Amino acid sequence: MKIRTGAARLCAFALALSLLASCSAKEYSSEKPENESKSVAELKSEKASQDNTKLVVAGSEIACGVDPTVYPAADYLLNMGAAEILFKVDADGIIKPSLAKQAVQLDDYTWKIELRPEAVFWSKAPVTAEAVISSLMRSKELDMKASPYLADMEFSVIDDYTIKVVTKSPNTDIKENLSYSQLVIHNTSAEYSYEDINSADYTGMYKISSFEPAMRMTFEKNENYWGKKPQIQTIVHEQIGDSDSRVMAAMSGQYHVVLDIDRASCKQIDESDVSHIVMVPGAQTMTIYLNTQNEALADYRVRQALAWGIDREELIMLGMEGLSEPVITWLGSNPAYKDIKNAFFTGYDPQKAEKLLDEAGWKLSDDQLRYKDGKQLKMLIRTFRNDKALGEAIQIQWRKLGVNASVKHGDYSLMSTAYENGDWEAAVEGWGAYGNVVGLLKTQYAPDGAANYGKYKDEKVDELLKNLAEAPNSESRHQAGVELSLYIAEKSPAIYICPRPQITAVSNKLEGFVPHFRQFENVVNADLRIGL
Amino acid sequence: MKRNMIFRRIRSALITLLLSSAAIFALMRFAPGDPIDFALGLGPGDMGVNMDMLNERKAELRKQYDLDENIFIQYVRWLKRVVRFDLGNSMRTKIPITEELGRRIPATLLLSFTALVIESVIGLLAGFYSALKAGKFQDGFIRILCVLLGSLPAFVISLAALFLFSVKLHWYDISSRAELHRLWLPAIVLGIIGSPQIIRMVRSEMLSELGKPYVSAIQSCGLPKRMVVYGAFRNALLPIITTLAMSFAHLIGGSVVIESIFNWPGLGNYAMSSILIHDYPAIQGYTLLTVASIIVINLIVETAYLLADPHVRRSESRSLKAAREVRTHEKKKVFN
Repeated sequence: MKIRTGAARLCAFALALSLLASCSAKEYSSEKPENESKSVAELKSEKASQDNTKLVVAGSEIACGVDPTVYPAADYLLNMGAAEILFKVDADGIIKPSLAKQAVQLDDYTWKIELRPEAVFWSKAPVTAEAVISSLMRSKELDMKASPYLADMEFSVIDDYTIKVVTKSPNTDIKENLSYSQLVIHNTSAEYSYEDINSADYTGMYKISSFEPAMRMTFEKNENYWGKKPQIQTIVHEQIGDSDSRVMAAMSGQYHVVLDIDRASCKQIDESDVSHIVMVPGAQTMTIYLNTQNEALADYRVRQALAWGIDREELIMLGMEGLSEPVITWLGSNPAYKDIKNAFFTGYDPQKAEKLLDEAGWKLSDDQLRYKDGKQLKMLIRTFRNDKALGEAIQIQWRKLGVNASVKHGDYSLMSTAYENGDWEAAVEGWGAYGNVVGLLKTQYAPDGAANYGKYKDEKVDELLKNLAEAPNSESRHQAGVELSLYIAEKSPAIYICPRPQITAVSNKLEGFVPHFRQFENVVNADLRIGL
Repeated sequence: MKRNMIFRRIRSALITLLLSSAAIFALMRFAPGDPIDFALGLGPGDMGVNMDMLNERKAELRKQYDLDENIFIQYVRWLKRVVRFDLGNSMRTKIPITEELGRRIPATLLLSFTALVIESVIGLLAGFYSALKAGKFQDGFIRILCVLLGSLPAFVISLAALFLFSVKLHWYDISSRAELHRLWLPAIVLGIIGSPQIIRMVRSEMLSELGKPYVSAIQSCGLPKRMVVYGAFRNALLPIITTLAMSFAHLIGGSVVIESIFNWPGLGNYAMSSILIHDYPAIQGYTLLTVASIIVINLIVETAYLLADPHVRRSESRSLKAAREVRTHEKKKVFN
């Protein structure tokens, strides 16, 4: 009898639990449901209309806070249409006015920026010249990433809606600098400390309505928006850290946009009937950095041989699921430099590679590996994140040349430790190729450049960098950039493979989505619409 | 005597906590990579930063997190703060760790408790049934099922469940909220994954009890089979309850994979994202909390044993007495 009573109690408990779990749609957390008294029909029609007015976006990360000077916040606020910058690059790589009306160059050192008198912050405060300068100065003072972009410029007020900019170097492209995502314009009045959502004031078409760190940020349409009003009322930006779960989210049809999709999952999503893949080559060049401090790699013939021995098409197929296209120069993945995608290395040429290695004294032995003075030609290739397959494809191709290549995969901290102690010969990384070209190329090739991992030194490169910095106008700057890129391609302190593909899953219901080479800043626009 | 025994257990629990916190602290520091770089969002793809500002900011952060001191001083300072229930601030979000953990504990407790209930129900029913049908087809079938579930990695079952219920059947919502209607799937998966251990435990304990002479004796007295089985079940419960309690402790800290895949906003998910960005204070806070919860649950179970079971009390007092005698004997030898 007692057993029967016990079993009955157990069953009742399990039943109550399953009922509780499956039937209840209420949150256990603070939000109280408003629709308790509504009928099922009313709820259904409300849900359908909500589905139509709420855009749900998922990514591997959301903003860490609401202060644009604390990375990473500005990128995400810009991406969700909450914040704006003075100038913005379009999908073709052309910089266009955004919050600013226009910028006019008065002489070699002076520019005039005209603002939009109709532009207002969320608080309805006007976006005046004084407010914009104050915002930029706050970014310069607090944000070490934004600071280099503003270092060369001095701002002063001409009138309420006009700013004078004086640059230290002649013909600096201020539009390019001011299009940097960390320079979003924000209200710096005393009441805005940017510690929480109530103390933030931006100009975007959406306002932040709630924020749960590392979980979710919600945005509501800004009714005071100065520009074209968006059609979608609410945006929810959710963090889904696991890459497989993001794929499931895209395939479930519950999300309209899912960013940071893994390369291997593209086919799976494309085959589903709810979402499709938008793949754009990002302005980020996948590069094999070479350690030129290594005895073998100090010889440019060995570096060139390794470059000739790379079959980019095959690498893209094996390591990138065929989702990109080859580039030979680092700037080649920047849409403004698409004319130098291919230069010097006309294609895969293993014979030429072998000849160069022979010339450099690395002779093929009976074990099919190359030796010089009894020393084996070894290459340790370091990879991180999802580039292991790419590293292994490179390993196979270099093995064919007689190079004893091996791959070490780990997180980025292992790579940076290896850079510090020199325990590497080659490393696969991708650096953003869009922005201030002078700064970008200095970072890659100057002796103290942050991305000059192999400490490559070349007087000619220093001279070309100097020419680039002193170029009198944007055309000659472009030309100097091209010249330097072509010289670097020939000397091969690094080998460039392809732009890193940006893969986004977009719901078939979503209309107005614009593919962009900086997708992580350009998901939301005023023309987005959710069809039924 | 009872009080002494409990005091001894609390003392050894505190020593365990101290040693494990030191181990966690040291292991974190031996991991390659500079947490300050992660905190400042530095990594591949940056155009570059203002180096003066960067160095200044790095020095500031190193001082703030005591990273400019040697590991021993870092540990002592951290320990002093921990005693005051201050686990420091997250390097990435700057939010106090206690607040971050506090926000996620309810979600984890909810998931862990529900999973424990499911695990217990499956474990007790299947284990009990398996013991009653020992050696028969049903027992073999349950054993195969246990081996299958025990050998499949958690992420495989989770992804398969997510694919089935979310993508194919549209029964399950993917989001970052801890809502009751999102609880059932991760709880079932977590419960199913943990159940083989309980099933096998219940089965073996039941078979061991049913094989004891007292069972044959009361059966020969003509007691109904149900009463006999019920009595054996009650006697087998003690080790089963211990295993369930320890299982709960592991569920609190160990559901990292499940929480990540189902995007359940609990402690495991938080730990995973903190590990990826080398957020030292967050990882230390999380591990300390999980270790402490395991130790506390263990302590409660042991104390409960001590209070409830006179055999345990007697055997402990005997061993204490024996240890005392050995010490006295050794002292005498030294004096002689």
